[in-house]
Amino acid sequence: MTERATAPLQLPERSRRRWPAVGATAAIGIFTVLTCLPAIGGVDVDFSALVRNWSNGATKVNQLLHPNFAFLPRTVSPMLETLAMAVAGAAFAAIVSIPLTLWAARPSNPNPVTRQLVRFIININRAVPDLVYATVLVAMLGVGTLPGFVTLFLFDLGVVVKLVSEAIDSSDHPYLESGQAAGGTQAQINKVTLLPQSWTLFANQWLYSLELNVRISAILGIVGAGGIGRLLDERRGFYMYGDVSVIILEILVVIVLIEACSTALRRRLR
Amino acid sequence: MTLTSAPRRAAATLPVPPSRAPATILAVVVGVIILIATAGLDIEWTELGDVPSRVVNYLQLMFADPNWDKLPRALFETWRSISMAWLGAIGCVVASIPLGMLAARGVGPTWLRYLLRGVFAIIRAVPEVIIALILLTVTGLTPFTGALALGIAGIGTQGKWVYETIESAQEGASEAVRAAGGNTLETTRWALWPAAAPALMSFALYRFELNIRMSAVLGLVGAGGIGSMLANYANFRAWDTVGMLLIVVVVITMCFDLISGSIRRRIMEGARPRGMDRSH
Repeated sequence: MTERATAPLQLPERSRRRWPAVGATAAIGIFTVLTCLPAIGGVDVDFSALVRNWSNGATKVNQLLHPNFAFLPRTVSPMLETLAMAVAGAAFAAIVSIPLTLWAARPSNPNPVTRQLVRFIININRAVPDLVYATVLVAMLGVGTLPGFVTLFLFDLGVVVKLVSEAIDSSDHPYLESGQAAGGTQAQINKVTLLPQSWTLFANQWLYSLELNVRISAILGIVGAGGIGRLLDERRGFYMYGDVSVIILEILVVIVLIEACSTALRRRLR
Repeated sequence: MTLTSAPRRAAATLPVPPSRAPATILAVVVGVIILIATAGLDIEWTELGDVPSRVVNYLQLMFADPNWDKLPRALFETWRSISMAWLGAIGCVVASIPLGMLAARGVGPTWLRYLLRGVFAIIRAVPEVIIALILLTVTGLTPFTGALALGIAGIGTQGKWVYETIESAQEGASEAVRAAGGNTLETTRWALWPAAAPALMSFALYRFELNIRMSAVLGLVGAGGIGSMLANYANFRAWDTVGMLLIVVVVITMCFDLISGSIRRRIMEGARPRGMDRSH
């Protein structure tokens, strides 16, 4: 009996399977080294160049810190153009997103072929960064607001269709079955049961896409797609950093305002 | 008295239907804003009809016969973009984990917490391309400065994710370490870090995914990599090469999303249990 009481504490054996951690660390290390080899396309890590540039950069930072507010009136009309692009892109994408979302969600489209096709196209659409679209579309359609509008339209379509169709997939649809039992066609069921149930999901994402649009449209002009970004790029080209910082401050204010409005609206939707 | 007369039915008092005026006003206002915005765009809307046919024409030029001769060069530039994204992600994660931890409630001093959260909020508010553009103007247009810009531009969001993760993780464990006599540093090491590490690793990979997209964009403004190559060939209207480059961008982006996404799932959900059957 006493032997049992004094038996030493039996600790469980430590896991000896350390190789996953070692392997992961080694893989990260090798990948990092490969990314630092300029010979195969990696980045040339050169801190001395940074130091050399810095004396040059310090004067620019100094200029940026002295915004030239006299420039403000000239930024108003490009800023309105930017906002117009954002709103129009979001609105057109909102309309087109409804049928596409219904095609891409499982409860509203039982046909796997068309569903996967729409999802595949949307995934490809989402894999292209926004400014890459803008660059190619500017080359296609010419400099101006039209490529910007089309870019935002395509970008929003990807965001809304992907997020809303996934939300529809993961939510319950108790009325769908009753629609089927009543003998409705899929289109009728979608119209009567699924859409009324999903409006808040849609409205939420439309507002979110508008928010994103304001952020993106401010920079689209850098590649020639109209709006305030074009002015930003132009002033940067002229080395007028005082004007550049005014534009950046203005973009910042507009983004914060739009996000505050959109967040307030979205909170009311819930 | 007539027995046949039915008792008078009480007039049905239906509740007043809710006013639809606010919804109608809202719809009209939204409609007017959209109309003004659409009219304000400097677009010939009659031209919009032939945009699809023009785009289809260009799509044929791009994808009917992509120019695969430039593929080695494209892959070289792609690796440069990926390197930028990776080094930027490492820089961002290495900087944001300690900063985000200091910004979490209960770890750093209050004044530092508000200061760091303010800095994160400001960085988040500015579009990443603009931060990168400022940094590139200051430090010069090289892939290295591109990676640096990616690292700094991501700190706002990454830092927020870190402190939110830490705050949602600190419950019993940190209290236990403190009760055993651990100071703040030991609490962070033995209670917060083990609880938050999987989520933080997952966010780090997600940062890499985001950076792959951003690095192509930075290339467009001149930092090098696949974006710069794309911008050049698009400017020269070399459509067959542009088509090939777009295919490369899409395939590479989707591949990395797939790999990184499955690793993230593995980190967050853990491995499937192995060797747990009791047959032996």
